[in-house]
Amino acid sequence: MTETMIHISGVTRLFGSVKALDNIDLQVHRGEVMGFLGPNGAGKTTTMRILSGLLAPSEGSIAVAGIDILENPVEARARIGFLPENPPIYGEMTVREYLTYLATLRRVAANQLTTAVDRAMERCGLTAVANRLLRNLSKGYKQRAGIAQAIVHGPDVVILDEPTVGLDPIQIREIRQLIRELGGEHSVLLSTHILPEVRMTCQRVAVIHQGRIVADDSIDGLENRARGKSSHFLRWSQPPSLELLKKIPGVANVTPKEEGWLITALPETDPLPELVRLSVSSGWNLRELSPAGGSLEDIFLQLTTREERPHEGEELSA
Amino acid sequence: MRGIITIALRELRGMFYSPLAWTLLAVLFAICAYMFNAGLLNYQIQMLEYQAYGMKGSLPLTERTIAPMLGNAAVLLLLLMPLLSMRLIAEEKRQGTWPALACSPLSPMAILLGKYLGLLMFLAITCILLAIPPLTLYAYGNPDTGQFLAGLLGLFLTAASFGAVGLAASSATDNPNVAAVASFGVLLMLWIISWMGNSSGGVMDQTLSYFSLMTHYQNFLTGMISSSDLLYFILLSSAGLLFARQRLLAERIQG
Repeated sequence: MTETMIHISGVTRLFGSVKALDNIDLQVHRGEVMGFLGPNGAGKTTTMRILSGLLAPSEGSIAVAGIDILENPVEARARIGFLPENPPIYGEMTVREYLTYLATLRRVAANQLTTAVDRAMERCGLTAVANRLLRNLSKGYKQRAGIAQAIVHGPDVVILDEPTVGLDPIQIREIRQLIRELGGEHSVLLSTHILPEVRMTCQRVAVIHQGRIVADDSIDGLENRARGKSSHFLRWSQPPSLELLKKIPGVANVTPKEEGWLITALPETDPLPELVRLSVSSGWNLRELSPAGGSLEDIFLQLTTREERPHEGEELSA
Repeated sequence: MRGIITIALRELRGMFYSPLAWTLLAVLFAICAYMFNAGLLNYQIQMLEYQAYGMKGSLPLTERTIAPMLGNAAVLLLLLMPLLSMRLIAEEKRQGTWPALACSPLSPMAILLGKYLGLLMFLAITCILLAIPPLTLYAYGNPDTGQFLAGLLGLFLTAASFGAVGLAASSATDNPNVAAVASFGVLLMLWIISWMGNSSGGVMDQTLSYFSLMTHYQNFLTGMISSSDLLYFILLSSAGLLFARQRLLAERIQG
């Protein structure tokens, strides 16, 4: 499955003189759930609004299911389902009316409307509230209705902007399960800043920071990449001096962390045996030795707290 | 096309879900019915005076009862239409439902036409309702049907162009109140713009008079349907729609 369903290339978006997106490239393949990670204000929402046709890019091109979104916006939008940050809910409609209305606008054939709406409600667990007014539903159900409208017309691409914000833990689990199920049939781009969510739902991750894609890999790939740097956390009850540690062959960097030391090795070397030998012979009393720097959190922090970009990079309202 | 009609029907239903449309119709109908009755009583008195001087025949019934009522109805709609049209786009944006529409496979013009068509359907209902008081005249007198229908058509077209201006205002902001104030201002200006003329019949006078909504509507009330007046209303409505379309397109670029 390598057909590219979302193809963003060289997209830049300016708001006045502020660069919200800076030359972004991103591809999502058929049937894939792609996590779109980034701190608040990094440009996630802007990217999604551009992808869904709400905003035009200042530069660059976007194709959805092979259709250029700028040249043929109406056709491209027929292939997209979009859940914005706040679900677009018409309070005075029932769930069924709402989904039927939007399905009609999105070209679901008249004789398939009922089937499509029933299926979307079933998938999103809305069948029990089909005839209730949206205004009277809880936040969780409104969110589900928002997801249902994004999939009711069977789009190739589903874009979800922070779909689990403000939900209770049970609802979050259900929605994550639903998102996992969406992959395979649809290509999903899921924005979030909740890392466990990405691990649970996504096959691939793109990290955006200050309007730039700083990583684009599978979760395993990202974690391996970070592990490749080979950092270890060591704690002694009689710790040696910092200078002494730095002199040990193969040690690239030593930083204090939580009553211990984070020791990074030089590439292609392994100072661990020497560290352990010294710990024993010098009586430092080694209490803890664990690999560090491999979790998604660490990678995320590494990627998004790196040195600031040379030009201005203030928080953007994305 | 299916999308346009779907939006129009939802818009129409949405208006009747809220008390606004009902209130508007009730107020409009009550005031127009009152004015119609007042006009009728006035006509009666004038007829008695007319006959007291020994004149034969009768005063023109339609011109003295139906036309003034329709004329006043347009003024009322000038006040009320901005309240109805302000929600069309601005409310969607404020409620956050706009993305659901804007991300559907519809051009901005299709969305606008759907909204506008929904408004026109509501106006058609309004015009039918306002035709009821004049219709009672047929039981007692002999009103000029042609003039009556021309007036009704004029009312519909006038209100339709009010709606198009309102739609333009609504698409330019995400605050419905701002949209209402703006469209009311533009409409009132268009209504009274001929006041600036000096009635000398010069170029200035003619131009201002051409731009005035009132001038064109008054022709309909006298029973005259001219292509020049029809064209005016069509142009004004198209201008409103095109402005709104430009706004929606520009929004994608400006953000």
